[in-house]
Amino acid sequence: MPMVSRWMYISLVILYSFLLGPFIIIFMASFGANATMAFPPQGFTLDWFANVFETSQFIDSFWISLQLALLSTIVSLVMGMPVAYALTRFQFAASGLVETVFSAPILVPGLVIGFAMLNFFVLLGDMHVMTGLFIGHTAILFPYSVRVISASLRNLDPYVEDAAVSLGANRLRGFLLVVLPNMQAGIAAAFVLGFITSFNNVPVSLFLSGPGVTTLPVSMLSYLEYYFDPTIAALSTLLVIFTVVLVQTAERVLGLSQFV
Amino acid sequence: MIRRPNQTRTIILLVCPALIFVLVFFVLPLIFLLSQSVLPEDGGFTLSGYLEFFQSRVSWIVYLRTLKLGLIVTGICVVMAYPAAFVLARMPPRRRSFLVSLVILPLMTNAVARTFAWLIILGRRGMINQTLLSLELVENPVRFIFTETAIVLGLTQLFLPLMVLPLVSAMENIPDDVLEAARSLGANRLTTFLRIVVPLSSDGLVLGATLVFTGSVTAFVTPAILGGSRLLLMSTLLRQKAVILFDQQAAAVVAVVMILTTLAVNLLLRVGRVQQG
Repeated sequence: MPMVSRWMYISLVILYSFLLGPFIIIFMASFGANATMAFPPQGFTLDWFANVFETSQFIDSFWISLQLALLSTIVSLVMGMPVAYALTRFQFAASGLVETVFSAPILVPGLVIGFAMLNFFVLLGDMHVMTGLFIGHTAILFPYSVRVISASLRNLDPYVEDAAVSLGANRLRGFLLVVLPNMQAGIAAAFVLGFITSFNNVPVSLFLSGPGVTTLPVSMLSYLEYYFDPTIAALSTLLVIFTVVLVQTAERVLGLSQFV
Repeated sequence: MIRRPNQTRTIILLVCPALIFVLVFFVLPLIFLLSQSVLPEDGGFTLSGYLEFFQSRVSWIVYLRTLKLGLIVTGICVVMAYPAAFVLARMPPRRRSFLVSLVILPLMTNAVARTFAWLIILGRRGMINQTLLSLELVENPVRFIFTETAIVLGLTQLFLPLMVLPLVSAMENIPDDVLEAARSLGANRLTTFLRIVVPLSSDGLVLGATLVFTGSVTAFVTPAILGGSRLLLMSTLLRQKAVILFDQQAAAVVAVVMILTTLAVNLLLRVGRVQQG
């Protein structure tokens, strides 16, 4: 390995301690016995983990976040896939415009999206909080699903499906039987990426959440306004473990990093 | 490419469901937001919301503070990520992909959990204060939370991966031969790094800087937890105007200024990139 000097390795150590250090601290704090978050923690207890499961606010919002993430990811994939197909398989005048429209939700700050949607939904009249959250999350996932699926379609030789069609399949059959099975990795990657983006989102959910219907990260944030104890650390530890398992599995199976 | 007589119809059928969704539920609310910022509830058209915003000392302070912290965070990220990304890009693929997945990990955990760690580190009885007290460097705990330093630390930790990843993928494409050629022609490590590696990875740098800067100036969770209402940034100001002061027009103005700022940064860097290339 030429060109890599010792001080560059030091920079790597600094980078990783800065990126991962906070997680180690959260992890230690979640087992500490003292309620005031003094560091280093004294004693050992699992009480904070028990407290996570006894706090209905967290349990309820966890289920909401889970449903919301699954639903909005699936809908954004099902609706985004035809767009990606059109963008990669056809040349048309408005393709640049279509691409811009579908990447726009990533350019607008999440908090602004949530605020604008809330005002708009109020204008439309009574809308269920969950519907509002679902719409908001689906909209912000389009950029990811369209981009990742497009990338996966570009890697697939279009002649493969032309061959299917020339052998007598119609376009839809060709897509379902030939293209779709070849895109499994791309779809799974888009799914994981979309799921995590929705599951972790705060800014869009913040305004769209309502009484009794709150996502997990938003309820964590509002818990922090009133309590400052290691319960949040314990919950964060659980979430980190959940994410590590999910991401490592995805990375091993699919090579997730190439899509981020 | 597939050519068929009814191609236009097919394209419309493919694109329309999602397009209508985005136009109705994303573009329309933004247009409504824009109109909210110039149309007061009692009718007419006015720019008073914008005048108020730009004439108010407080909003100027908040706006400039937001931009300043964004620049500082971007700068720190560049300095921290550049050499590290270079090492990562020169590693054997297996080890590299493991280490890169460790960079992605924090990106996949929610911002509340990640910012919470800073409360433990910087809090009144946190790690740093306990250390300072036990070494008897200070007599009373130092206030770190609700300072700009706290926000900068939190945002840097949050957005550092967005600088590392584009840099690694830009540097992966620099062949070893180029670097060896530079070395054998007499350039030392630093010269090679500055004159070969930096120019060849500028695309990654520009992309990373855009992501980090726009992320920092629009982030909500970190300034909400580490800055609170005492140290407002644009995002927390928007929330305050909308939820606490109930001034929807003023909130809409803040929102529009935030959109324009991120768009301007994106355009600026895109133009710069085109001219360069």
